Amino acid sequence: MDVRGAPPDAEVVALVLAGDTEAFGFVIRRYEAGLLRFATRMLGSRDAAADAVAESFVRAYRHLASCREPARLRTWLYRIVTNRCKSYLVRRSVADVPLDDAPPVADPADTEAAMERADQLLLVERALAELSPDKREAFVLKHVEGLSYEEMAAVTGERIPTLKMRVHRAREALLKVLEDHA
Amino acid sequence: MSVIDPRIHQVLDGELAAEAVPAELRPAVAQLAAAAELLAAPPPGPVVSLESRVMAEIRRPAPSRARRMMRWLVTPYAIILRVRPAWSVAFAAVVAALTLFTAGDQGPELAEHEGIAQFVGRFPDAQSVHVVGTFNDWRPGSIALEDQDHDGVWRASVVLPAGTYEYMFVVDGERWVPDHLAERLVADDFGRENSIVIVRPARR
Repeated sequence: MDVRGAPPDAEVVALVLAGDTEAFGFVIRRYEAGLLRFATRMLGSRDAAADAVAESFVRAYRHLASCREPARLRTWLYRIVTNRCKSYLVRRSVADVPLDDAPPVADPADTEAAMERADQLLLVERALAELSPDKREAFVLKHVEGLSYEEMAAVTGERIPTLKMRVHRAREALLKVLEDHA
Repeated sequence: MSVIDPRIHQVLDGELAAEAVPAELRPAVAQLAAAAELLAAPPPGPVVSLESRVMAEIRRPAPSRARRMMRWLVTPYAIILRVRPAWSVAFAAVVAALTLFTAGDQGPELAEHEGIAQFVGRFPDAQSVHVVGTFNDWRPGSIALEDQDHDGVWRASVVLPAGTYEYMFVVDGERWVPDHLAERLVADDFGRENSIVIVRPARR
């Protein structure tokens, strides 16, 4: 989605709060890809992730007036999606990731390199699914979404040393799986 | 206790240059970076945007207050409830004052299902104080508190339908603070602490 030329977050928030509902489309187009990727990695299902992110956007719109720092809208949205994913995992009662979406199947026309990449992705996804939700969340926010530890603290409400520890443990677990399959 | 060399973490945390670690550690750094890159790549298949779905939902009128209240009552929430005994006396005084106020002959004419919520906050240096909450969809600016005697204590009395509401004060149009005189504070999904006010019907 092209969001070039879109106004900055604070301006978009002001527009929406002033009654311009359609301006919220800028927010969706700007952040949906990252939020969907994050939720998919957390929940292991693209369908569940789409539901979680859509519900989060609606919730964000309804509570936009309570976003205290519109310039940091991205962090606020990740926080909402994070909470929605946690609620989903709790409701599912078992906090594992089912990987219920079809794994990437290599097309016969694919190159050998592409097939190897698909195998690697499946391996990494399975290793990620084995992590506890807290470690999975920390790893994905840090290494997939590229958030700083300060931003992660704002998203999760956890202390930075706690988050660093979770990221370290997640790396160690992933590395062990990768080395075992090397 | 870390089971991999801490310098690997330092490189991945951006605290150490990749060239600064011995060659035997670099494959582990590369493996983890490659794993992250794989996870960050767009998934195969068509890209489906949520925009039309979300916009269709938010263009619909918001559910009525009664419906939202009913949903709030029947939805299980994980909330942190903090009771502050030190403030309970002050809260009791506020409740007593509210009771006296609603029982008196003076004051606005209230319908059967309405009551008066009194909001009181001490903000000595404030230029303006507003109250926002679930009763006004968290929109700042609609309910102003007044400090008529300039003693730093801001007050407002608001007629509301009986019910339980979450609220906060907005000081000088930008600083959102909970009312610590409220006996109950709840944590919401966004990491804030909201205060709770219970408005009882003036007439039963």
